[in-house]
Amino acid sequence: MTPDTPTYPILAAFATVLFPFIGFLLSALAGKKAKSGFLAIITIALSVITAGYTFAMVWGEAPIHAQWHWFTIGNEAFHLGIFLDNIAVLMLLVVATVALPVHIYSVAYMKGDPGIHRYWTYLSLFCAAMLGLVIADNLLLTYICWEIVGFASYLLIGFWFTKDAAAQANKRAFIINRIGDIGFLIGFALLYSGFGTLDINALFGMEGLFVVPAATDAPASAAQGGLPAGWITVAGLAFFLGAMAKSAQFPLHVWLPAAMEGPTSVSSLIHAATMVAAGVFLLARIFPLFDGTVLLIIAATGTITALVAAYFALTQFDIKKILAFSTVSQLGFMVAAIGIGMYPIALFHLVTHAFFKCLLFLCAGAIIHEMQHLSDRHQLGIDPQDIRQMGRLRRYMPVTFATMLIASLALVGFPLTSGYLSKDALLIHAFEWAAWQQGVAHIIPYVLTFVSILTSFYIFRLLAKVFFGPTVTAPLANGQAGIHDPSFWMLGPMLFLAACSFFPLFTLQPLHYAHAWLLEGIGVSTPWAPIPLLHVAVPAVTTAATLAIAALAWHWYVKGKYALKTDGLLYRFSLHQGYLDSFYDRVVVGAVLGLANILRWLDKHLVDGIVHGLAAIGRGLASIAGWIDRQVVDGLVRLVGKLAWGLGSMLRHTQAGRLQGYLSSLFLIILVILLYHFIVQA
Amino acid sequence: MNPHLLTILIFLPLLAAAVMLTVPARRQSAYRYIALVTGLFQLVLSGGMYYLFHPKGAGISQERLYQFVDHIPWIRLDMGGLGRLEIDYFVGVDGLSMPLLFLSALVMVIAIGASWNVQKSAKGYFVLLMTLDMAVMGVFSALDFFLFYVFYELMLLPLYFLIGIWGGVRREYAAIKFFLYTLFGSVFMLLVIVGLYFSVTNPDTGAHTFNMLYMMDPANYVSGSFFSALANQELFSIPARLLGFIVLFIAFAIKVPIVPLHTWLPDAHVEAPTPISIILAGILLKVGGYGILRICFSIFPDAAVQSAWWLGLIGVVSIIYGALVALTQHDLKRMIAYSSVSHMGFVILGMASLTTEGTAGAMFQMISHGFLSAALFFLVGMLYDRVHDRGIYHFRGLATLMPRYTVFVALAFFASLGLPGFSAFIGEVFVIIGTFNAESVNGLLPRWMAIAGSVGILLSAAYFLWTLQRMFFGQPYLKGGGAWSKALTDASPRETAIMVPMLVLALVLGVYPALAFDKINASVLALVELVVGN
Repeated sequence: MTPDTPTYPILAAFATVLFPFIGFLLSALAGKKAKSGFLAIITIALSVITAGYTFAMVWGEAPIHAQWHWFTIGNEAFHLGIFLDNIAVLMLLVVATVALPVHIYSVAYMKGDPGIHRYWTYLSLFCAAMLGLVIADNLLLTYICWEIVGFASYLLIGFWFTKDAAAQANKRAFIINRIGDIGFLIGFALLYSGFGTLDINALFGMEGLFVVPAATDAPASAAQGGLPAGWITVAGLAFFLGAMAKSAQFPLHVWLPAAMEGPTSVSSLIHAATMVAAGVFLLARIFPLFDGTVLLIIAATGTITALVAAYFALTQFDIKKILAFSTVSQLGFMVAAIGIGMYPIALFHLVTHAFFKCLLFLCAGAIIHEMQHLSDRHQLGIDPQDIRQMGRLRRYMPVTFATMLIASLALVGFPLTSGYLSKDALLIHAFEWAAWQQGVAHIIPYVLTFVSILTSFYIFRLLAKVFFGPTVTAPLANGQAGIHDPSFWMLGPMLFLAACSFFPLFTLQPLHYAHAWLLEGIGVSTPWAPIPLLHVAVPAVTTAATLAIAALAWHWYVKGKYALKTDGLLYRFSLHQGYLDSFYDRVVVGAVLGLANILRWLDKHLVDGIVHGLAAIGRGLASIAGWIDRQVVDGLVRLVGKLAWGLGSMLRHTQAGRLQGYLSSLFLIILVILLYHFIVQA
Repeated sequence: MNPHLLTILIFLPLLAAAVMLTVPARRQSAYRYIALVTGLFQLVLSGGMYYLFHPKGAGISQERLYQFVDHIPWIRLDMGGLGRLEIDYFVGVDGLSMPLLFLSALVMVIAIGASWNVQKSAKGYFVLLMTLDMAVMGVFSALDFFLFYVFYELMLLPLYFLIGIWGGVRREYAAIKFFLYTLFGSVFMLLVIVGLYFSVTNPDTGAHTFNMLYMMDPANYVSGSFFSALANQELFSIPARLLGFIVLFIAFAIKVPIVPLHTWLPDAHVEAPTPISIILAGILLKVGGYGILRICFSIFPDAAVQSAWWLGLIGVVSIIYGALVALTQHDLKRMIAYSSVSHMGFVILGMASLTTEGTAGAMFQMISHGFLSAALFFLVGMLYDRVHDRGIYHFRGLATLMPRYTVFVALAFFASLGLPGFSAFIGEVFVIIGTFNAESVNGLLPRWMAIAGSVGILLSAAYFLWTLQRMFFGQPYLKGGGAWSKALTDASPRETAIMVPMLVLALVLGVYPALAFDKINASVLALVELVVGN
């Protein structure tokens, strides 16, 4: 395929990535002088403009592709390129639009931190890589950006590196993401060995090698080009492993709650809105690769993740941990949407979720900020993230409360919010898909509905405890806390995101998703017949359940009539997050280290033992040779010498010079000869 | 253009050594300046040659495709019934040797920079260093097997003394271990060289020859000779050509090193002074990889194809074994030594795949590992210079005490663990891709080897990041207390001037790998064609 020549949208998309990258370079060069964040904000603001332009030019039009030669290995050329289709420009706009308010918020939130210059540098690097990831035209380039966002995430989680927990968390995040990266690597290496290209459009585009056959039973995997079907499945699973790690799917989700050690503004942008959604984005990008087996595994994993994470969120006391598990749970929803073949709906939920979850974190950040001030001012020494220490905050922070309420309603999918539209679409399609499937697949939509009820519970529990409930912190109870809504620099971004959490951004029909421009742009086509009843039943049931749960939370947490025991097995299991962390530490890490220690022992004693043994044999042989040399060879020589010496010393007595001696010897010899003669003759 | 550029590059250090011998020993600082000037001159010269090197110059088995060739008859001896002895001074470069020559010149400059504070008999030290420099350049250029062997053995001598005299506490043990290990391989190599000599004749003169290029052409083998492919000779019921391949492979594999012939490496590294560690990891290990490609694969292609599966297995085992053992080390230098074993495993795996991607990836990995391992050992040396300790558990929170040093370490670690944007990433990814390709291209390696190899990428993240966490993050704690925190000053300008170019080079090659691939490609294609094509 010959690529198009660069056009304005391509240049604009390139500029969108380039601006934050320039911001990164300049901040890195400026070092400690880049405190204000001015560079980072300006560059991301420019990115928003160019991203908006790109979106306006490309959305709904034919995809644009441009590439430049990068390097050749053997005879195979590799390219750097930009591929702009609806999905790419949508993600480009969303990432830039969420990143800008977070940057502005950070000015006030991170003020006074001694390492602030590093913060801006890392944040710009992240934005550049994340924006690059969504417009990359081939899987190698995607992979590169994929790893760099992970690297930026590592740096930001460990931003306060003197804290041991942060240093542990960033290592864990990177290593777990590496497991996924290896999956991604194996996946694209397999595709490359089968098809000889990594070009996304050539593989998965409208006329790609993996063209989706319309109206067949299996929704994917038509291309059997260079790879046997079994290896196609392996490649699909390998890519999914990559997505599982990045999008924190069970059981690889453990890094995300731990990643809350980073600054809250980072959590909102990277660990809620954008980077963690990259896994879902990747799955949508390569969707035609997946065959029926892989899709079912994806759907099941997403559903399990949604359920387990929501269950863990029920009992957490750290406000950021609750939101982190909520993110994991919502990512599970998106992955489940991929699994049922509805990747446009997964992307729809990704976009709505990006806004309201980002907002939830920013609100939490504002609360944590104020709680920290409260703790410092009154020397309370409390954990500013513990919701048990909060309560009655609505009185002090009304605007924060209002925005957080809006975000929460969007999260539970309450009518009039954006979340309602995407979650409704997701659940309805899940039911329709299940009706079209056989076997255990039927339980998936019911589980997802149940999870959306759990969602209501944990988020209303949070709201009730934080904003209404009775408090154990004295200054909060007696109205002397002296805390308030944050300054405009933080409030502005929050209000903006709150506005984005309502329905009008996506469709003018508040209660029905079907005409949302986003879905129309990406195009939903279902192989199954729609079930009209669901369009009434699903929203009615979920909304009613939400209201009931809200009332329950009010009753339990505000009125103080909590009715459950807190020492039950289920409760403890949830509170300790299923003991997965200790399982990994003891069993997985233990096994690897155990094996490593065995090898180290073998290295020292067996491998080097053989070497030393050989050396000892060599020395032994040498000393035997030495002994032989001294005793046998030299012995012989000495024996000869001794013999000569002995003989000589024996004979020298005969040479005494006395005539009598000579004559008597002569006489004796003659006598012996004569005797000999006589005896022989006789 | 001077036709003898390559010869000048090789023997320049010898000249420098001669000059050093005339300088009186009391003028200590003169030696390092002579060495530095020589090193820089070599760097510029090899850089210029790299720039002039024509990418179409495939080399491998054809003399006319070599560049900077110097081919002079050296020893001609009539041996009566055995014919005429023909040994040439024959040097030249192709895509396999050119990048390694440049790398050697670069690593030498770094090593000289790291030797700046050598006090103990500086004269002897720098003379030996220059001799080593010459031998290394010679090894990468020699195309006559006899000449190659002379340079190859000549490398051992200065290294033995450099470790044995200027090394750490157990230096004698490490030096003798290193010497005997390597000698063990090269003694048998000599037998194969003699066997090849009697099997191969120069087609022009009919005399037996040590010319490697003649050895690569089956037509030059005397019919019925020991190593002739047609004769199918056997020794100990092993085909002679396979035996020759195995013997040469073991000789070079000890240098690489492969598991289980690697235990000289950690000891040599731990006991060697920093500059010698840099040379060992940066250049010496590459002699092994280079030898396998230039000699084992090119002269015994049939045996290479036969052994590819085993070579792949050796690569995979080295990758995983080295990484796991690195995970348990408590000495930072030992940890990095084992990480070298793991990273060089990728070189073996990539070569074994016998695909263009895999072989080019292996070459790239050698170049990348060359200066990244040099950087890592230099960084360890910086710490050791200050407090004479390298225990991973003896330091904590160094990021607070030495921020610039920490940035260098973090970048070098991430570059080594294969972060995209740095060179190691390209090398490892293409080794993995090549290994995956092998099953469909030539069927030599199964796909599980690629999957197993990629586990090494995961493990490398584990040991590097764990080390970062233990030594650099958290609240500062030092085993040596206040005395240490005074001694632990941040990177000096000299150290920064050495580190920055290496990291920049890793970055440049990672972002624009064409700088290396353009020079390597033709040779790799020719090599793969030579080995798999027949």
